Amino acid sequence: MTANAEVPFTLSVSDAAIELLQKKLDLVRFPDELENAGWDYGSPLTDIKRLVDHWRHNFDWRKSEAEINKLPMFTRDIEIEGFGTLNIHYLHQRSEAENAIPLLFVHGWPGHFLEVRKVLPLLTAKSGDHPSFHVVALSLPGFGFSEAPKTPGFAGRQYAEVLNRLMLSLGYEEYIYQGGDWGHILGVHAVHHYGHKHIKAWHTNMAFFRRPTFFRHPLLFLGLLALPFSRTAKADLQRTMKWSKSGIGYFIEQSTKPQTLGYSLADSPVGLLAWIYEKLVSWSDNYPWTDDEVIEWISVYWFSRAGPAAAGRIYYEMTGGGTHDTFEGTKWSSVPLGVSYFPAEIVHLPRSWSHMLGKLVFESEHDKGGHFASFEQPESLVGDLRKMFGKGGPAYGVVSGKSGYD
Amino acid sequence: MATNAEQPFKISVPDADIELLRKKLELVRFPDEVENAGWDYGVPLADIKRLVAHWKDTFDWRKSEAEINQLPMFTRDIDIDGFGPLNIHYIHQKSEVENAIPLLFVHGWPGDFLEVRKMLPMLTAKSVDHPSFHVVALSLPGFGFSEAPKKRGFSGRQYAEVFNKLMLSLGYNEYAYQGGDWGHVLGLYAVDYYGKKHIKAWHTNMPAFRRPTLFTHPLLFLSMLTLPFRPSEKAALQRTMNWRQTGSGYFHEQATKPQTLGYSLADSPVGLLAWIYEKLVGWSDDYPWTDDEVLEWISIYWFSRAGPAAAGRIYYEMNNGGTGNAFEGAKWTSVPMGVSYFPGEVVRLPRSWSYTIGNVVFESEHDKGGHFAAFEQPEKLAGDLRKMFGKGGPAYGVVTGKSGYDA
Repeated sequence: MTANAEVPFTLSVSDAAIELLQKKLDLVRFPDELENAGWDYGSPLTDIKRLVDHWRHNFDWRKSEAEINKLPMFTRDIEIEGFGTLNIHYLHQRSEAENAIPLLFVHGWPGHFLEVRKVLPLLTAKSGDHPSFHVVALSLPGFGFSEAPKTPGFAGRQYAEVLNRLMLSLGYEEYIYQGGDWGHILGVHAVHHYGHKHIKAWHTNMAFFRRPTFFRHPLLFLGLLALPFSRTAKADLQRTMKWSKSGIGYFIEQSTKPQTLGYSLADSPVGLLAWIYEKLVSWSDNYPWTDDEVIEWISVYWFSRAGPAAAGRIYYEMTGGGTHDTFEGTKWSSVPLGVSYFPAEIVHLPRSWSHMLGKLVFESEHDKGGHFASFEQPESLVGDLRKMFGKGGPAYGVVSGKSGYD
Repeated sequence: MATNAEQPFKISVPDADIELLRKKLELVRFPDEVENAGWDYGVPLADIKRLVAHWKDTFDWRKSEAEINQLPMFTRDIDIDGFGPLNIHYIHQKSEVENAIPLLFVHGWPGDFLEVRKMLPMLTAKSVDHPSFHVVALSLPGFGFSEAPKKRGFSGRQYAEVFNKLMLSLGYNEYAYQGGDWGHVLGLYAVDYYGKKHIKAWHTNMPAFRRPTLFTHPLLFLSMLTLPFRPSEKAALQRTMNWRQTGSGYFHEQATKPQTLGYSLADSPVGLLAWIYEKLVGWSDDYPWTDDEVLEWISIYWFSRAGPAAAGRIYYEMNNGGTGNAFEGAKWTSVPMGVSYFPGEVVRLPRSWSYTIGNVVFESEHDKGGHFAAFEQPEKLAGDLRKMFGKGGPAYGVVTGKSGYDA
């Protein structure tokens, strides 16, 4: 029987773990690099050398830890059918506004729960001019400080169950959902299982779905064949094609052999750094990463509860080991959906395809920002949520008795 | 200007490098594993833990090194147009037989020059019953103990140039070529540039090429559409599809971001071990790997001259950073070609497609053996070469004045 009690959580990495990291950094062996490689072959050597040096000699993990511990964090056991209990780590920040809208924020890979950090004060702030939110942001199972599943097959249905049970356990019978990357894909699953009854509306900053096929979406499909793409749609598709040709090695390896890759990521700080940093830079819109920001981000993976090898397994489980797409088992839902388009998002499909994701009631396009929207452009993202859920907005009042305003 | 002088070569890994490896192994941090994962998610944890313990406590690199140093190894500078000189490491074993056929053996990934080791005595042996070969087996640039290119763009043409200049520098104006994996793909280029004039015949144990299309091979294409595949062909194709669907992550990463991956492979012995061991087992036909065999193999990569990150770049350069494919620059030639089919090979296509690769004059099918044919089934592979090049064989006497037999 699970103890459903919420336990306050304080991040406290052991001295031994920090010492091991430092010893490993002291023994680092770097590869060479081709002349004029730039970013073409992967993370550049000068960047990585500089970051490793910073990690070893300048970065203060205890300082980061203390700052992170100022956030209201908790853990509780969540039971998942067929998988026993998982101890889930989450952030829960209530607004002063009693009738704030409960919002579940779900990160992806290589993200983590701290991606909510900058939007947190904006979302919970009380005002007559915009709605407020009670915010819940978990570490996905296998990420951050949540436990990882121990047995195979933990996929869409199971993630949806964790998310829903967490919100119910916090007293949020009805709530809204926001996510990008896996947060987006799991949103499709969550809404499939718990839409209408629990999830009243949802928002994504990474509109991504299967290609329309003749059978599933005949009009869209025919439109694809017949109509020329607009110039921006063409540029969007080109960027997506580029990602699919030269930036999906990580996806295919993690979908098929996450354990093999995991030995490197668990054992080598520089290996883990390079693996994630490549995406932090290439997937963001010229975000001016500081070395501290990068190293803090990587450290959350390095010191994660389940270890860095566990996170990649989501790719394996959600694709059946590389044998199907991540939307398997879901159907179109009429739960109201909002989409924010950021120009440097990696997967950028024609806007008309967003209708395949759900009942599109809100769209917003920006001229700055990339994949890590909540981290790069917190005001833009929050602005969209405020418009979507605020008075006069298309999702105003979706959650019974929680309009967002007192 | 490159000095063409051949230098005898012995591996001598510095003590400091061995010490660093040991220290890293002592600090190893293992991941966990999903229950009952088997091999589904990648290399099993129990295997890796056992191999790491063996590497740290039992495996004797100096013993391996001494054994390898008994092979006749050399280095020499080879000048490559636009890239300057590269110092290339190779084995060169001549046969007693004066008129032995010069044979260039080319490895692939995650292979190395030592894949020739078991065949060496067989290929060079003198006998009236079969032909003999003078064998040259190099470390590809960026592998083993050869230097790696420093500039971008080192691709099919350049590899072919290295091979040909190496053979010419050894006095072999005409020669035969054998390869699998990259050895096969690079063979296409070598034969395209230097076939007929220098490469008189070639052999592959991994016949792979572009799919026939309506435009390139209309009859073959139409037969694909209309005739059912034989059960053996179906099984072969299934294996190839499995590789594509669930076993090609390494390919995509190495073809697009070899530098990113390289930080892990250069820094983490267990990371490198897992990355390669997955294929040693996955691509062989139940070969009974000993821990020593595995660790010696991985150690070649760990102690390689250019470091383990360099080897993967061949995928990037040959596949144009993931935007092209390695077969694009190669075309069919009429240089006589031999093919050996091994059931455990990972990329297996219908036998009829071999004719799209080259002028097939010899085929041989086996019931045992996988991707690392020279290592797993040396007698079979050497046997095929003897049949192909021996008296009465379809490539007998291709090399002028070097029939493989003394008078």
